Amino acid sequence: MKKKIISLLMCAAMAMGLCSCGGGSDSDSDWDYISGKGTLVVGITYYEPMNYLDENGELTGFETEFTKAVCEKLGVTPEFQVIEWSKKEMELQSRTIDAIWNGMTVIEEKRDQLAFSTRYIKNKQVVITKAENADKYTDTASMAGTSIAFEGGSAGETAITSDDTLKDCKLINCEAQKDALMEVKAGTADLGVIDYVMALASVGEGTDYSDIKIIESVELTPEEYAIGIRLEDTETLAKINGAIDELAKDGTLKVLAEKYGLSDVYALG
Amino acid sequence: MAFLEVKGVYKSFGKTPVLKGIDFTMDKGEVLAIIGSSGSGKTTLLRCLNFLETPDKGQISVNGDKLFDSEEPPYSDREKREKRLHFGLVFQSFNLFPQKSVLKNVSLAPGLHETSGKKLTKQEKKEILKRIDDNSRRLIDMVGLSEKADSYPCQLSGGQQQRVAIARALALNPDILCFDEPTSALDPELTGEVLKVIRELKTSDRTMIVVTHEMNFARGVADKVIFMADGIIEEYGTPDEVFGAPKSEKTKSFLEKSLER
Amino acid sequence: MGFWEVTKQLADGFGVTLIIFGITLLCSLPLGLVITFGSMSKFPPIKWLTKTFVWIIRGTPLMLQIILIFYGPGLLFKMNSLPRMTAVLIAFVINYSCYFSEIYRGGIESISKGQYEAGQVLGMTKSQIFFKIVLFQVVKRIVPPMGNEIITLVKDTSLARVIAVAELVKAAENIVSMRSIIWPLFYIGAFYLAFSALLTVLLNLAEKKMNYYSG
Repeated sequence: MKKKIISLLMCAAMAMGLCSCGGGSDSDSDWDYISGKGTLVVGITYYEPMNYLDENGELTGFETEFTKAVCEKLGVTPEFQVIEWSKKEMELQSRTIDAIWNGMTVIEEKRDQLAFSTRYIKNKQVVITKAENADKYTDTASMAGTSIAFEGGSAGETAITSDDTLKDCKLINCEAQKDALMEVKAGTADLGVIDYVMALASVGEGTDYSDIKIIESVELTPEEYAIGIRLEDTETLAKINGAIDELAKDGTLKVLAEKYGLSDVYALG
Repeated sequence: MAFLEVKGVYKSFGKTPVLKGIDFTMDKGEVLAIIGSSGSGKTTLLRCLNFLETPDKGQISVNGDKLFDSEEPPYSDREKREKRLHFGLVFQSFNLFPQKSVLKNVSLAPGLHETSGKKLTKQEKKEILKRIDDNSRRLIDMVGLSEKADSYPCQLSGGQQQRVAIARALALNPDILCFDEPTSALDPELTGEVLKVIRELKTSDRTMIVVTHEMNFARGVADKVIFMADGIIEEYGTPDEVFGAPKSEKTKSFLEKSLER
Repeated sequence: MGFWEVTKQLADGFGVTLIIFGITLLCSLPLGLVITFGSMSKFPPIKWLTKTFVWIIRGTPLMLQIILIFYGPGLLFKMNSLPRMTAVLIAFVINYSCYFSEIYRGGIESISKGQYEAGQVLGMTKSQIFFKIVLFQVVKRIVPPMGNEIITLVKDTSLARVIAVAELVKAAENIVSMRSIIWPLFYIGAFYLAFSALLTVLLNLAEKKMNYYSG
């Protein structure tokens, strides 16, 4: 009975809380909170070459090593937490993670929800399709009237909806970039829009997507990658940016970018 | 002093009065038959004696023990349990426990009474249960079902089930055994075996109250007969008095109708 | 990535699925009975409080309950969140207790009044009547609907992935996104099928075992 009452109260409290959400910052927040517990919890999804498991099941990748290098400079231990990408903002706000660090594209509309770090990768959105159809699509005009799959809330979505010729296409809003890939593979979408880094890693020999091609002739809006942290964590942001600066200057990041095949898109010199 | 004394018992369901002042007494070893048309309150009276219903007013005592008095504060569950053990009740629809064997149906309640809440060693408990089992088998034998002791109720005929129910009620050795239309749910050819068991119980001087529609049985077995109509005792007397020379018009017309059937 | 390697990785996810399944079942079965007693209580405030609670839980998606329990404390009160698995287990146990409680209630109400009265006139206490007479009959009657609910639970465990608990579906999704191979996503169907086949056999066995009497 006691359990029931407690859970009932909890529900009621949460329902009320939902209405009066936001506001109220604790003294124990920002950098004090992170350094206090000694760990920086980083939200990731498995995604090559950013964060993925190698043959031995060890987490590795460009972002993984990048995170470790920054944390070393800040004197905290990195803790990698796999999250559902669509709930990344909620994870951050509920403090179940402290940073989103997973090849996240800077989206202007999200500025009031997230603080973005220094941009470290200049990426672009690319269009993918089945190899046999690749010749049909040479520019955006030839794509009018097709069905296009993309990750909801991603830079890809912005790229499509801001393009006048693509606006009347059948838009397929997916949970994640890999779902957009699968839509194309299954033939349920003619085209997919995903980012270049993802496309390079997933498409080609030895994968299930070997029959999918990147349409190189079509260019969509370029985009940049940054680390996302809580809006109010200004001190943390400054510290992370400082560390990135140092790592860029001493060449560590450049070496990492080369190691993971990201030299083309590396943005810090 | 009479063995059972029922004084001024009233009972209403909502605004419908069902018992409007019932008074009677009976002696030890007597068999009392209660007859009357449906809705006359006879089943409710039986349920009041067994604490399945609480009278609104009145007193009930057995052997000088006051079991119920509407002037006293409501009884606790424990008190009710102790008091109702003076009575046993055999239901119209048997109400055997379907998942338990015949033997277990009979021995379950006595086993619980004698073992639960008591500090007993395993050995003591085993001995008690053994004694109860033996007694239960004796009762099952008495109602003529010794070879069915390990059967389940669903494997028995209605008449056999009702005989098990009688054995179950006897296992707690109540002062007064009540029957609520024990043969009404049975096919006519099965009523005989149940009535035979009740007759045999009479020979062993059991005090019994039988609510029944079997007029011949009431006349042949009962020492006293109550005819109930509209929540009151319309006529009371020996079978010869009630069946042979009824005083009330209502009794007469009821008996005429019953004989036509 | 080879078949055995994938199977091995999926087995880890399946382990998580089994833990969610097992603990939910273990805790919800008795807790459901407590809620049943609450919703059948003769004391109106407890009865209505319980009924409202059951209505809320049954009336909202389990996915929402998982999200609320995990993110709620942090988002609303700046409290520390529960560990992911704990949040999932709490949500599942509460949710399934409520569903079970309604099945129990249906079962208990289907037992005839005569069974209670027979126990009463034999001088048994309320709890003796319930546990020695009624409960077993209820169990026999509710095995089929409970079986349904239990099989549903097997598949509902996949909801745990909304807060990134790596159960079977999530484990497959991870392989799909990391290795760019799709078949593991369909392969996990075999795990669910095998497990529900096992449960179906067990449930049928239980049903058969209790069929020694009718009624």
